[in-house]
Amino acid sequence: MSVAELKEKHAAATATVNSLRERLKQRRQLLLDTDVATYTKNQGRSPVNFSATDLVCCRTLQGHTGKVYALDWTPEKNWIVSASQDGRLIVWNALTSQKTHAIKLLCPWVMTCAFAPNGQSVACGGLDSACSVFTLSSQSDRDGNIPVSRILTGHKGYISCCQYVPDQETRLITSSGDQTCVLWDVTTGQRISIFGGEFPSGHTADVLSLSISSTNPNMFVSGSCDSTVRLWDLRIASRAVRTYHGHDGDVNAVRFFPDGLRFGSGSDDGTCRLFDMRTGHQLQVYARQPDRNDDEIPTVTSVAFSISGRLMFAGYSNGDCYVWDTLVAEVVQNLGTLQNSHEGRISCLGLSGDGSALCTGSYDKNLKIWAFGGQRKVI
Amino acid sequence: MGTRSERAVDGEAAVGEDQAPPSEAASRRGVFIGKHRLAAAIACLDQEIVSLQKELTELETIEPSSASCKEVIASTEGKPDPLLPVTTGPENSSWDRWFQRVRSNRNNRWWAHKTSDFS
Repeated sequence: MSVAELKEKHAAATATVNSLRERLKQRRQLLLDTDVATYTKNQGRSPVNFSATDLVCCRTLQGHTGKVYALDWTPEKNWIVSASQDGRLIVWNALTSQKTHAIKLLCPWVMTCAFAPNGQSVACGGLDSACSVFTLSSQSDRDGNIPVSRILTGHKGYISCCQYVPDQETRLITSSGDQTCVLWDVTTGQRISIFGGEFPSGHTADVLSLSISSTNPNMFVSGSCDSTVRLWDLRIASRAVRTYHGHDGDVNAVRFFPDGLRFGSGSDDGTCRLFDMRTGHQLQVYARQPDRNDDEIPTVTSVAFSISGRLMFAGYSNGDCYVWDTLVAEVVQNLGTLQNSHEGRISCLGLSGDGSALCTGSYDKNLKIWAFGGQRKVI
Repeated sequence: MGTRSERAVDGEAAVGEDQAPPSEAASRRGVFIGKHRLAAAIACLDQEIVSLQKELTELETIEPSSASCKEVIASTEGKPDPLLPVTTGPENSSWDRWFQRVRSNRNNRWWAHKTSDFS
């Protein structure tokens, strides 16, 4: 076939793809007969009602000398690992505020960190395009630094996010600026699977975040600068299971809903969205009220759900930390305006294993722990 | 990271180069690269077409969003949630550990009862 014929074939295939995408978009629109908020309000439910002193900042974890970029809790204990612009990981006992480890990193430009399920190791990654793993019980050197136990190399771009597969100390997933996600065997340092890249249906821009389903740990979602979220099956690396369209900007954060069948996402377009994993439906958009003072729309940096899923916590680039009522789609509290709140952008947030506390990390160099300090009614 | 098509191209271009003058070889290589890149791109698009058609077919039998919305609401009910002002039980006493007296090794810092003013 000549080049000219191939070019014609390429143009025809492109036109077919565009036409199919348009048909899909229209068909999906017809299937969106309601959203979560409309359905909920039709049932006569009212928003969660917080009094001003219900959610309180009960700890401020000070110690980083640079912006906090990432944090992760252990599943069962009260420990948190945080990563900062100061080139360090700090492991905290969140209950006592004590620092149990301060790890100076070989590459100071760290972007993400994660705790192993058994709480014995931490992993991190960043502009070095590698994921470093530290065993916390390792003997520290003269300067008090823990040696790295394993370096996972292979990505061709920065590591934006890393997460251990639940209940598996030996498997970890990373997302990268090289447009792929990778499943690693931590003991051997080998890549088990690559999601995206050469194969079609992979992301077409930097991948910024990932979340693994707790109810089905074979499934994970990734959010990207290509404005989409993609669903992957760990057993099938060859193509994404589904692609979720809706956002109009980089998807900075993704997090599975507690039931493992839905997930939330946060984007540069200033919205959070709730998607249904199996059908692909966009179930709800969580959009801020436009503020006359906002020169630009604050972007969503981070998203997490309370243990029941009724609350969605969203961190924003302007320091707001909205508490959304997930069902009614209304903001029921803003941690950014409470006493002792952060003084800068919220970069990361996460719930403790039992859901009793939220930790937020900020460009103001601190982490804060928030818990319910009011009169609780148990029904 | 070269694509499979680009690595194949390099191999093929080397075969032609021995025989022809440099400028002809370069333009022939340009044609090889163009053809292979185009072919690879078309293969990708064809796979995408199959995938999109499959998704369109699936949508014919998929439930509307109202079914999923109902599931979302149901999934939030009956789950004890320490951060909600009103929640189903059972309540766990460890939820309030953040407000209880805690002795750390280094000092005797402790936190007041949960209803105290934190200012």
